[in-house]
Amino acid sequence: MTAPRVLLVEDESLVALAMEDMLADLGCEVVASFAALGPALAWFAGGASGLDGALLDVNLGGELVFPLAEALEAHGVPFVFATAYSALPEARFPEALVVRKPVDPGALGEAVSAFGRT
Amino acid sequence: MTLAAEPDEPDALFTLVETVEDLSAARTIDQVAAVIRSSARRISGADGVAFVLRDGDACWYLDEDAIGPLWKGRRFPLTACVSGWAMLNGQTAVIPDIYADDRVPHDAYRPTFVKSLVMTPVRRSDPIAAIGAYWSVERRPSEAEIRKLEVMARATAAALENARMYASLNETLERRKFLLRELDHRCKNTLASVQSIADQTLRAANSPDAFVEAFNGRLGALSRAHELLTREGWGRADLRQVLEAALAAFGGVDGERVQVSGPPVDLSPETSVAMHMAVHELVVNAARHGALGHPDGRVEVSWRVDMAAPDRRLEFVWRERGGPAPSRQAPAGFGTRLLERALGRELGGEGRLFRDAEGVRYVLNAPLSTRLALT
Repeated sequence: MTAPRVLLVEDESLVALAMEDMLADLGCEVVASFAALGPALAWFAGGASGLDGALLDVNLGGELVFPLAEALEAHGVPFVFATAYSALPEARFPEALVVRKPVDPGALGEAVSAFGRT
Repeated sequence: MTLAAEPDEPDALFTLVETVEDLSAARTIDQVAAVIRSSARRISGADGVAFVLRDGDACWYLDEDAIGPLWKGRRFPLTACVSGWAMLNGQTAVIPDIYADDRVPHDAYRPTFVKSLVMTPVRRSDPIAAIGAYWSVERRPSEAEIRKLEVMARATAAALENARMYASLNETLERRKFLLRELDHRCKNTLASVQSIADQTLRAANSPDAFVEAFNGRLGALSRAHELLTREGWGRADLRQVLEAALAAFGGVDGERVQVSGPPVDLSPETSVAMHMAVHELVVNAARHGALGHPDGRVEVSWRVDMAAPDRRLEFVWRERGGPAPSRQAPAGFGTRLLERALGRELGGEGRLFRDAEGVRYVLNAPLSTRLALT
């Protein structure tokens, strides 16, 4: 089985480094990693094919990641939210998987286990 | 025991007292307006009343209760209506015949029933509203009628002040709730950062002692980065301040061993933390293996913004000289990743670390953005 190709969006550099490591440890290949919504949206709109999943921080320096989640959903790409909030700031994506920060690698592993299986 | 001569007087007085009570219980401007609407006519005996708020340079006819339509919902310039006159002059206007008084904009009154009126400002000094009483006949109102309206206006002033205080109190409570949520969010994000530092430090450490030393140093740097942000109200931080804080534990920016120069650049909270942590790695490496560990060593930190370039970019350079030459070790592992990978990723630019013959050199080149801006 080839490694699932994963997009990471996380605005805190330190946290992003750890998430990249955790994803790699879980057998994922982080094909793109962004700190802000704009570049991530542009990258995805530019024809990011073969993406198996995405790990999305919810609040990106005051901007919500939801527009990207919508784009991913429209293309059938599964995603998992990572957030330090105890509840998502908006009641959207009620079905979405959410992992809490600080992220437990076990919980993250479970959340991303569906990536690349569809 | 004597009864009042005029049977309706006690009723009107009771109504006035009850209205004052109701006004003192009002918590919003709408509630104040509702009290005025439901009782001002009974108290004044007028054919119509209007409650007018001052809205900048306009009178805003917020509410009314009258035998025929007045101007509810409309706005007029302060200088072009009687309520404006009353508010600008802080005086009650008594107008027995509106068509004989040039303070009255006659065109606005022609479609209405009004022939005479009393308009009293709410809060004599610096009026914030006005209450108007209107009659369908030409008449001179009695002193008692005018005084009752003025009493109601004073109670209304206190009620509006209360409404403002309640609004501001509620806002403060909401803000407090919001801040607590943000604090929780920030705490957990900080824990996630500490988790990351622990992970990364452990991956690179070859002994428990090395882990403890590096981990504590990084924890200290993270703490100082937060301290700086808290001092700035968790707003933006200045690049120079970040450098000074990151160098503080190693002699600081003294202008001799460490020189710093560049235009004021401000950083978003996230970028300021990342920058602080990255510079910390440079500093620790320089102290241990490079220029800051050598008596003749010098560090020159400089940055500039190329204003002529189509996308304005910052070029930030850390340059060590006079240290052990050639510098065999540059920041490894976590430091390298932060400097080369994380900052470049965060700023949409490029960070590169060089091991020059004269010492370590680090160059960060990134476009200006909301994360990285000239002040």
